[in-house]
Amino acid sequence: MMENVYLPQIGRIAGIREETQGARAIKTFQVEFPDGDAFEHQCGQCAMLSVFGRGESMISIASSPLVKEYKQFSIMKMGRVTSAFHAARIGDFIGVRGPFGNQFPLADWKGRDLVFVGGGVGLAPMWGALQTAVARSQDYGKISLFYGARTAGDLMYKADIEALQTSVAVQLSVDNPEEGWQGYTGFVPANLMEKAPSSNNAIAITCGPPIMIKFVLQNLKALGFADEQIYTTLENKMKCGIGKCGRCNLGKDYVCTKGPVYSWAELKKLPQEY
Amino acid sequence: MEKILFKEKLRQWVDTLNDYEVLAPAFADSVWDYARVEAETEIDLSHTNTVNPPKQFAFPQREVFFRFERVDGVPRLTPTVPDPKPTLVLGVRPCDGRGMPCNDTVFSKEYRDPYYWARREKLTLVGLACNEPYAPNCFCQSVGGSPHSTEGLDVLMTDLVDRFHVRGITEKGLEVIERGGDAFDRVKDDDAAEVEKVHAAARSRPQRPVAEMDAVAKAIREQFDSPLWEEMARHCIGCGICTYLCPTCHCFDMNDEVTGPNAGTGERVRTWDNCQFPEFTMHTSGHNPRGDLAARLRQRVAHKFLYFVENHATRQCTGCGRCISGCPVGIDIVAVVDRVTRS
Amino acid sequence: MVNVDELRSLAAELLEQGQVRSLIGYRRGTAGVLAEPCTIAAPGEAETLVWDPTCLNNLALFLVEERKQQAAASAPDKRPVGVVAKGCDSRAVSVLLQENYFKREDVFILGVSCEGTGVIDPRKLSARLKGRWPTRVEFAGEDGFKVSAGGDETLVPARELLADRCLECREASPRLNDVLFGEVVTERGFDEPFRAAKAAQEATEDARWATWERHFDRCVRCFACRAVCPMCYCPECVVDSTTFVNTPGTSAEEKATRIRWCERSANVSESAVYHLTRAIHLAGRCIDCGECERVCPVNIPLRLLNTKLEMEAFQQFEYEVGRDFERPSLLSSFRDEDPNSFIR
Repeated sequence: MMENVYLPQIGRIAGIREETQGARAIKTFQVEFPDGDAFEHQCGQCAMLSVFGRGESMISIASSPLVKEYKQFSIMKMGRVTSAFHAARIGDFIGVRGPFGNQFPLADWKGRDLVFVGGGVGLAPMWGALQTAVARSQDYGKISLFYGARTAGDLMYKADIEALQTSVAVQLSVDNPEEGWQGYTGFVPANLMEKAPSSNNAIAITCGPPIMIKFVLQNLKALGFADEQIYTTLENKMKCGIGKCGRCNLGKDYVCTKGPVYSWAELKKLPQEY
Repeated sequence: MEKILFKEKLRQWVDTLNDYEVLAPAFADSVWDYARVEAETEIDLSHTNTVNPPKQFAFPQREVFFRFERVDGVPRLTPTVPDPKPTLVLGVRPCDGRGMPCNDTVFSKEYRDPYYWARREKLTLVGLACNEPYAPNCFCQSVGGSPHSTEGLDVLMTDLVDRFHVRGITEKGLEVIERGGDAFDRVKDDDAAEVEKVHAAARSRPQRPVAEMDAVAKAIREQFDSPLWEEMARHCIGCGICTYLCPTCHCFDMNDEVTGPNAGTGERVRTWDNCQFPEFTMHTSGHNPRGDLAARLRQRVAHKFLYFVENHATRQCTGCGRCISGCPVGIDIVAVVDRVTRS
Repeated sequence: MVNVDELRSLAAELLEQGQVRSLIGYRRGTAGVLAEPCTIAAPGEAETLVWDPTCLNNLALFLVEERKQQAAASAPDKRPVGVVAKGCDSRAVSVLLQENYFKREDVFILGVSCEGTGVIDPRKLSARLKGRWPTRVEFAGEDGFKVSAGGDETLVPARELLADRCLECREASPRLNDVLFGEVVTERGFDEPFRAAKAAQEATEDARWATWERHFDRCVRCFACRAVCPMCYCPECVVDSTTFVNTPGTSAEEKATRIRWCERSANVSESAVYHLTRAIHLAGRCIDCGECERVCPVNIPLRLLNTKLEMEAFQQFEYEVGRDFERPSLLSSFRDEDPNSFIR
């Protein structure tokens, strides 16, 4: 029987964790595949998640490929489909199609320092790469994480980040002054500039709100990172996930197949239509 | 394989294909469009071109991907990959024929689309060469086509007044000709010369000129940020005519359509979509990378003449002219590329 | 005859003196015989303006677009927009004024009279020419149109080429105008108003439904009919599940609970809901410019839906759409003499 790339597998929500609350709440879902046919994926790839009757959304796979028991997704409540996810309970069944897209070239980064720079829910698409690098830390140089959000309550994966402190140089930040906050107060790009990680033999990976990426990029360049040393992961409105419905393209590239991972060297050659 | 089909025996041939669904152009409601050939249909191949291109026979306006329902609380999906009857389409113009390989590429590159191919494999396209451009906006020759191109077609017929010259091109094409049996006659010595004469005459008829086709891709890249696009898109009303009528446009939407009393029962449906609709690329957040008319016009033109070329080394426009004739406000893709190259 | 040079002079003058910030008119198209809309801002561009029976577009549509851009602009130019308007187009402006879409002083109307005839139906023209392509169509008074094709020039009786809505037109001249070009001709020897809608009523209900079922089946849902209608100016169309306006402030709940009244599927049921709802939303507002039907790629006779409702508006309420912009609109007003036999 020919494989049907539009037909989702059925997954079961095995774990739900509330990350943040409020208007743009984030929840993390761990999805198991009851029939034992979980697919293999690479860091940076995404999957189309369905709530049948509501629709599908393309969400980054946040868990590392080394984790076989489940796939992790962090979903922000934005609209129709994501609201349905937020209303879901443990044991509910969803549809999963994937993995789609390209990957972070972790193999190429061996021996180099890795600087992860994330904001808000943008930590999730990079999380798998970060976890994989930590698990294989002998292959990489110094790993650091710059992560911030508007308020302390908006920071994701707090417990997991705590657990990383021994292997990763963590620099957390919160945009505005907040009582009880011990870390850096200010925007992520500013924190990055202040701590000034070395660009020597380093790779920077960034993901977050467009405005953050813009200033992080500026600052990374100021710190001496070359275009080939800077990576990001994009998002766009997607429907098919397989480069056919025609809507997610940046110039000749469909972000769902040729992306979402791009180095700045590659990205600046494309029309800046995102 | 080449044969002669006298016009009065066309129906005889079609009748031998009784296990096929046969479609042919028909004039109804003042437009030419494809209609099913029934027992009493008088097949009329005197059309200019159909308003809808033949892409619909492999890529219909609506395709149900699967049905979903809940059984004991677990979603059960029933895929609905089509299993159509063999389908024969008569009177396909060479520009439309050339569009099909573009669609074949889209629906097979990187991932194979089972719904498209289930239909495409059962589809036989019988082309009809143009003895002259059928509309003032034809420009097939400027984009590498011709009034008698066989690309994408299974059979090519040429009108020789009282008879058709019939050439089988693919296996599917040869098969339907064989089935026709004695509806066909042998090709005579002067038939070949006559066909060549008709084809040459068709090629020499003037079409819509395109100033510098070879310079278009580069010009679009260079003029990407030009204010020209806004000027040319000024009166676009954001409808779907140019894309829906295009032989090679393939954008689509996917939605869950609930058919039962709760959200658990329904169908996942693919429908045609259009890069000119304002919300085509709009994120749920409200951010829209192509939020203005200029960006959307540029997207369509660039996709046809630049991006597809960069990805697949061929243009995605076959010069059928429907988008030009159909546009309610006269936006003209030939005028657009000419302006871009001249800037 | 409308003096096109005078039209061009006035347009140039208005732009030169800055009395209008831009002017919407017709110019020669590149894609065949039909004129196309143009928006000019420089006085020199006024030379390109044309007026002939191929000026089909209802330019009031572009006033709507202008208004939307104004609303979004941070420092809007408050000068009026000039617009060339036929009778039907000026009635569209009238409805937009009635609905307070913009103010009277926001538009400067250069009225053009159809002088007893009207504009052509391109399908009738191509059927008549049987494969020959027209290069030019000109007004020739009440006699009809002068059609140039393949080197020949023929005088064609108006009735044979006129758009169906022109045949039924009561007033082929823009009553609402700031300047009028051409003669106002009141006698029109064509069809009575609503002739087509009345004729369509003659068929049995079953026959009528079968006809419309076929039309709804043919519809490809390109939405050109809605896009070309000046009165369909809603940023969110109730029958289209994709025209939603999302701003950064729109909550997830709002987006999640939007009702899909009509699915995107182009099948009979959804297309029927789309067309019939749109017709009802236009009741008492449609000025029968016929553009919806003209642009439909599969030629669905959409006018019949709208003119039926306008016929009812006329028969029951003596209401003529677009006649008087100062009169309250039909569905937002009530007069004591309105029929009320349904009130028990």
